[in-house]
Amino acid sequence: MRLLSVLRHRIQPLNPLSVSSRVSAMDASRRILKATVALCAAFLCSGSGPGFAQEAVVDSLRVYPPEIILETSRSRQLLVVQAVYSDGITRDVTSQAQVQLSNAALVRQEGSTLYPAADGEGQLTVSFGGKSLAVPVKVTKAAENRDVSFRLDIMPIFMKTGCNTGSCHGAARGKDGFRLSLFGFDPEGDHYRLTRELSGRRLDLAVPSKSLLIEKAVGAVPHTGGKRFAPDSEICKELERWVDANCPNDPPTVPTCTSIAIYPTQAVLDGEGEKQQVTVIAKYSDGTTRDVTSLSLFLSNDDSVASINPDGSVTAGQRGEAYIMARFATHTVGSQYIVLPKGLKFSFPPQTPVNYVDELVNAKLQKLRMAPSAVCDDETFLRRVYLDLTGTLPTTEDYQRFVPSPDPQKRLKLIDELLERKEFTEIWVQYWAEWLMIRSNNVISPKAALLYYNWLADQIGRNVPLDRMVQELLSASGGTFKVPQTNYYQNETDILKVAENVAQVFMGMRIQCAQCHNHPFDRWTMDDYYSFAAFFSQIGRKGGEDYREAIIFNSGGGEVAHPVGGRQMPPKFLGGAQPDLKGQDRRVVMAKWLASPENPYFAQNFTNRVWSHFFGRGIIDQVDDVRISNPSVNPELLAELSKRFTESNYNFKQLVRDICRSDAYQRSTARNDSNKTDEKNFAHANLRRLKAESLLDCISQVTGTKDKFPGLPVGARAVQIVDGNTSTYFLTTFGRANRETVCSCEVKMEPTLSQALHLLNGDTVNGKIQQGGLIAKWLGEKVEPLQIVERLYVGCVGRKPTAEEVAAFQPLFPAGADPKPVLDDLFWSLLNSREFLFNH
Amino acid sequence: MDTPPRPITGTWSDDPAHFRKVNRRNFLTVGALAGFGSLTLADLLRSEARAEKKDYASFEGTAKSIIHIFLPGGMAHQESFDPKPYAPIEYRGEMGNVQTKVPGVLFGDTLTKTAALADKLCVVRSMTHGEAAHERGTHNMYTGYRPSPALQYPSIGSVISHEYGPRNNLPPYVCIPTLPNIYAGTGYLSSAFSPFCLGSDPAGGGFKVQDLGLPGGIDDSRFSTRRTMLSAVNQHFQKKEASDLLNAMDTFYDRAYSLISSQQAREAFNIEAEPAALRDAYGRNTAGARMLLARRLVQAGVRLVNLTYGGWDMHNAIVPGFRGQMPAFDQAFATLISDLEATGLLKETVVMVSSEFGRTPKINATAGRDHWQKVFSVVLAGGGLMGGSVFGSSNATASEPEENAIGPEDLFYTVYHTLGIVGDKELMAPGDRPIEIIDGGQVRKELLS
Repeated sequence: MRLLSVLRHRIQPLNPLSVSSRVSAMDASRRILKATVALCAAFLCSGSGPGFAQEAVVDSLRVYPPEIILETSRSRQLLVVQAVYSDGITRDVTSQAQVQLSNAALVRQEGSTLYPAADGEGQLTVSFGGKSLAVPVKVTKAAENRDVSFRLDIMPIFMKTGCNTGSCHGAARGKDGFRLSLFGFDPEGDHYRLTRELSGRRLDLAVPSKSLLIEKAVGAVPHTGGKRFAPDSEICKELERWVDANCPNDPPTVPTCTSIAIYPTQAVLDGEGEKQQVTVIAKYSDGTTRDVTSLSLFLSNDDSVASINPDGSVTAGQRGEAYIMARFATHTVGSQYIVLPKGLKFSFPPQTPVNYVDELVNAKLQKLRMAPSAVCDDETFLRRVYLDLTGTLPTTEDYQRFVPSPDPQKRLKLIDELLERKEFTEIWVQYWAEWLMIRSNNVISPKAALLYYNWLADQIGRNVPLDRMVQELLSASGGTFKVPQTNYYQNETDILKVAENVAQVFMGMRIQCAQCHNHPFDRWTMDDYYSFAAFFSQIGRKGGEDYREAIIFNSGGGEVAHPVGGRQMPPKFLGGAQPDLKGQDRRVVMAKWLASPENPYFAQNFTNRVWSHFFGRGIIDQVDDVRISNPSVNPELLAELSKRFTESNYNFKQLVRDICRSDAYQRSTARNDSNKTDEKNFAHANLRRLKAESLLDCISQVTGTKDKFPGLPVGARAVQIVDGNTSTYFLTTFGRANRETVCSCEVKMEPTLSQALHLLNGDTVNGKIQQGGLIAKWLGEKVEPLQIVERLYVGCVGRKPTAEEVAAFQPLFPAGADPKPVLDDLFWSLLNSREFLFNH
Repeated sequence: MDTPPRPITGTWSDDPAHFRKVNRRNFLTVGALAGFGSLTLADLLRSEARAEKKDYASFEGTAKSIIHIFLPGGMAHQESFDPKPYAPIEYRGEMGNVQTKVPGVLFGDTLTKTAALADKLCVVRSMTHGEAAHERGTHNMYTGYRPSPALQYPSIGSVISHEYGPRNNLPPYVCIPTLPNIYAGTGYLSSAFSPFCLGSDPAGGGFKVQDLGLPGGIDDSRFSTRRTMLSAVNQHFQKKEASDLLNAMDTFYDRAYSLISSQQAREAFNIEAEPAALRDAYGRNTAGARMLLARRLVQAGVRLVNLTYGGWDMHNAIVPGFRGQMPAFDQAFATLISDLEATGLLKETVVMVSSEFGRTPKINATAGRDHWQKVFSVVLAGGGLMGGSVFGSSNATASEPEENAIGPEDLFYTVYHTLGIVGDKELMAPGDRPIEIIDGGQVRKELLS
């Protein structure tokens, strides 16, 4: 064990993120170029920085797996040796490395694979490029064979060869008369269907290779799915061995796979065509381990960057980052691959991180050899921060107060000031109303919806710590008028759907898949799903005094049964423990866990959603599609944000302040040579179209007009709409969420023909310009046309017109001509301009 | 090199139902490409989609457009296209029937004009699916899919937009008068493929397509000044910013300009331009105006026109219900078919009349019929489909398919086929899940001429 830990230490030897001595309170003077701090220095010391341009030497070796355990003659181990060079590049040197065993009799080596030869313990020493590393080897029962097991040996074959996928025999009705459970969620049923469902040819105990199961799969007889493997393959031999042994089922004591690991855990590949072999180790409930590389399914989340073949060999493609994932049994694990252009020379420019956000964003960029873009100018910042924090545009007065100010602290001050505005709260009430699906319908009366909304607005407005608010929401009992947050359970009454919604909104996970089969690309099994749903099986509902009111209470009875076998599922936290529920309301217990540091996804989910608001994409994106196969682009950043958010007692404003202060948020959209291909690591700012509500509010703001929405007073803004059912042509056309589902995908940002037509010809832009009458008013006040041009520019797009633009407009106002039509057209143009429609 | 690439066995790429990872594709990356060439957005989305594994190039189909007439509520098959005159009275209902032009084939007696054109129609009497709720049945009959809790499927119109894009400056998918239901939308596809909705009923007096005409006080020359000014205002930003989002937005502004500025395109919506006699023939009512406008639109280049007519959820008093609504449909539909025939459009236009389901075999206690999805009828015509035919049949009481049962999968697969689209082709859903346009359907050759 000690050796193992030493080894682990070596595995991640030079983490350039050791940021102990980082300066983090440099807010004030950040635009004054200070000395090169921290990062670069830390890098040079470590010697593995990508900025190191000298001839790279082997810096360390990584040997996988960290210990080699061979049990029974059927076991084996694929060995992988990875060399880490001083420039940070890694190479697969398994075939070049020298391997020496302290006791040569223990194992037999064929290529990179080790087979047991004799019982005993020893050490394997691997040397390459002047470095060497030893890993322990342990061989037991070398002479004993292991009996074939249906679950351990046969079920994985169905997954590896694609037999039990949804488009083949895993379909609910099977395929061509033969059904397997999807991704093997039901081994018992599969055994039954193989051995008992059909008499005759499916299995041939006398001549195993003549079993239809095998003949179809090797293509000896016509098979819709084609040839899956060769007759002389290991997989085929294993199937024959099982049939030959009379197709045994397993005793109930058969161990289950408890976790898997993929090695190497990280690789930095130097140019297209570079290769890296992976090895996958499974751990079982009886403590044994097994090399399952040949039985794992592999996947790259970006084939163009790194692709993987069925044998687990990764090939590098174009520059970028990809996650290589392996799936075995119900487990999926991933490892990070960074691919760089061959022989890239790059040095990370000196940075002065404002806070931990910058440190962590920059650290990732450094790994990718990308330089961040510069910080944006004051005009851009002013518009961006107003739109993001308040959903409004800075007024001309705001502009004149902020832009010329020489105060080095002015950005910080502005952020703090905007955080206290009521518009800031309203934006987040709107988000929450989407997540909680606040809308009236057949069950929820407009009155209940309004009370629900008011409860929410009050909670957010008072900055109630998030954990308390969510606990109050999810554990509430009472009337939907008196305790309006109980509407949450009135909105959706289906037990399974409630569980799915809770997981999606508060943990960012879509567990729907596991309703019918083990989630194929995440950890969630059907057991997890139904055990979690069981928390919501005892919600009682009855009518209140007012016919529009319902009362939600703890009925104390009702269970959830597993669809396979009908077992009653005891409530169990999603990815957590099975709590003691005696005498307690299940929802109360669940809510206490859900909104607490014990649930690691709670803070992460919320910080990710907040991040996404300010950057246009989450650190995990989509924000409500967190799964292993959709990895975080910067796990350290998300972890740190979540940790601090938790430690601050879920202080939302502090989180927003940290984000907005960072250079990462304040970057320009202009890209540089190194980061021009980046779309997800926040190396530069991204254009973001305004949300439907903000867009309408901004048009009303700059035209000086008021809107009237049903149920709201004149002048209320679109962001304040209470009921998801309330909409207008404008809002619907621009993709407002109607709050029918919890999905973040309800908000649509894609452009459509109807949007373009509406802005060009519709009554919103044209009507509001006339209705507001600003131009006529200014002309009446004898404001010069060119000055009006400037006012319009500052009002709509937050900047003064450039000299070129002024020069272009000048001739349009000849003396004596009526400037109004020209100014009207300009106003119309500005409201149709891309610069207006996007936050940039 | 001749054989198409096979999925690699033993990787997740092998599983076409889930998560085959191809290069990151979404609406935005496509926009990025649009900046570099003259390809349209739809071209790009199409060529990009071709790079995927389960893919088929579209081919020259027999049809170029579709008019989809949807009768919401669940139209009774017994009173319309599948009468059962020999069933007991509680099954056959009170209404009579009429002999059609096809010997031995009867229609309900409110469909006399249509009956006279039955030799042009392909009546499917064995339609069946498993959904007896309005919204679920509607989903089936707009997408060809059963509803899924995990995924929202695109409607046939959005799929066609995605596959073919606009023609003659007209939007590829138009709904008359508005979005009929949420399943007529884009589902998992980008909302860029959403239908263009008129926002106004052509039967109404002040019919005006939403935002199509220039606002009051703005004439063509003023609009062109505005366009010039807008492009000047945009210049500063465009020089500074390069983003796929911007390109995508530009694409739709360009489409809007071409729609607004093309007299021909705008004229397609102008129902007033039709001769008065023809308008009378269609009927100056909801059914007539919508169908006439649909014809104008497909004639001008729209690929799929969806229109709804009436309310057919006749739990009560089915006879007055039919007598009230069907004659207008009958007149309009018969005129539509003969008009399409006369203009030569019928051979390249599929007309589909459908509803979310049929109605119960027995008349209920309130003289109506309730929801019945086990068997019902759909009527097809034109576009290379078999005229003068009856496909499949229901049993003696119109309660089960008797022969040639056909589900939405096969119906849609066949309709897509007439347009040259292979239903087995996969489109990309979020999470990089490739999803077949139609799952598990096939071309029913008997429907084709």
